[in-house]
Amino acid sequence: MMVPVRCFTCGTVVGEHWEEFDERANEGEEDPKEVLDELGVERYCCRRMLVSHTDLVDVVSPYQ
Amino acid sequence: MTEEYDVEFVEREDREARFLVRGVTPAFANGIRRAMIADVPTMAIDTVRFVENSSVMFDEQLALRLGLVPLTTPPVGEFVEDDTVTLSIDVEGPATAYSGNLVSSDSLVQPADENVPIIDLKDGQRLEAEAEVVLDRGKNHAKHQGGVAVGYRHLQRVEVVGDVPEFEEPDERIVRGVIEDDGELVPTSEFDHDLTNRYPDQEVAIEDVPNAFVFHVETDGSFTVEELVTRAAETIEARATELEEAVQL
Amino acid sequence: MELRVTESSENELSIEIAGEDHTFMNVLKGTLLEHDDVSAATYDVNPEQSGGQTEPILTIKTEGGVDPLNALEEAAVDVGEKAVAFRNAFEAAA
Repeated sequence: MMVPVRCFTCGTVVGEHWEEFDERANEGEEDPKEVLDELGVERYCCRRMLVSHTDLVDVVSPYQ
Repeated sequence: MTEEYDVEFVEREDREARFLVRGVTPAFANGIRRAMIADVPTMAIDTVRFVENSSVMFDEQLALRLGLVPLTTPPVGEFVEDDTVTLSIDVEGPATAYSGNLVSSDSLVQPADENVPIIDLKDGQRLEAEAEVVLDRGKNHAKHQGGVAVGYRHLQRVEVVGDVPEFEEPDERIVRGVIEDDGELVPTSEFDHDLTNRYPDQEVAIEDVPNAFVFHVETDGSFTVEELVTRAAETIEARATELEEAVQL
Repeated sequence: MELRVTESSENELSIEIAGEDHTFMNVLKGTLLEHDDVSAATYDVNPEQSGGQTEPILTIKTEGGVDPLNALEEAAVDVGEKAVAFRNAFEAAA
């Protein structure tokens, strides 16, 4: 639904990087690896939080 | 018995640091590490009163998201465990409610990050809520955990013991952490964690330096690394004093 | 922090320290073992057949006629000093 606020494993706040990551790596053409490195999301536990996330708010909102 | 500790910073930023401590026992190093994770109190939202929530997520889900937002924690002594601060949020769609939209009743307690999306609001949806912030420890809930990814490794001493025989294929030698080379501290990231990059064609011996630990500490933004470490030491000190008094009785 | 002595003799003491976990107990045990007159020190956070007891029980054995309770008190002082020394060393570097 919405991006998790923190990494499940280590507790780092990852939510704040979602919009930039989405814009550059998912919508844009940039390499996710490089975007994550630039955002300072270093560990793989935090990286998977962003890489594997899908926003579902737009999908569920018509059924409210 | 007085201990001789020696602390030296290797890398240092506001929220992330690496420092070397010499003369510390493994038991004490672990005590400090555990205290940083679970025993240093931080502020976090604990109770939320929803005035209006017509978003696509349930009240409980939003309350959890709000709870996980890191808040700046005031200096020691400003708050005790039962004091509360109220934060309020009021956002109307179409818009996204961010952690930065939280308005605090106390300037000492503010969202540490402003850009955490709380909920996406569509046309006509609205989120209005009041939240109570409490001071608590990481032991009770992960949202109160001020230190993230706190750990330590032995400092490793690297010594050149000879040359690699001329026709031998050198194997990579992966080391992580910080090495000590002739008294100089070098983070392994400087040579891509591979000793053959730093000592090409040389045979090296690695050993752990006894009682020297390199801590890696990150905070969630509640306070600086310095504050986290000092407060962790203080919690241990406080418990030692408490035990001393309890034994005397 | 509530203390409850579960077993006590001249040179041996078992004491329950309520509300603590490995964070403090291991530091305390390590410090006790540095003491010259302590021959053994250990702790157990969930003793067998304790009926769900989870408070740690610290056991100290001493030699040379030293009261284990005094050894515990000295160790507590030492832990406090260590924490202060560590904090001072850290603040000096920071």
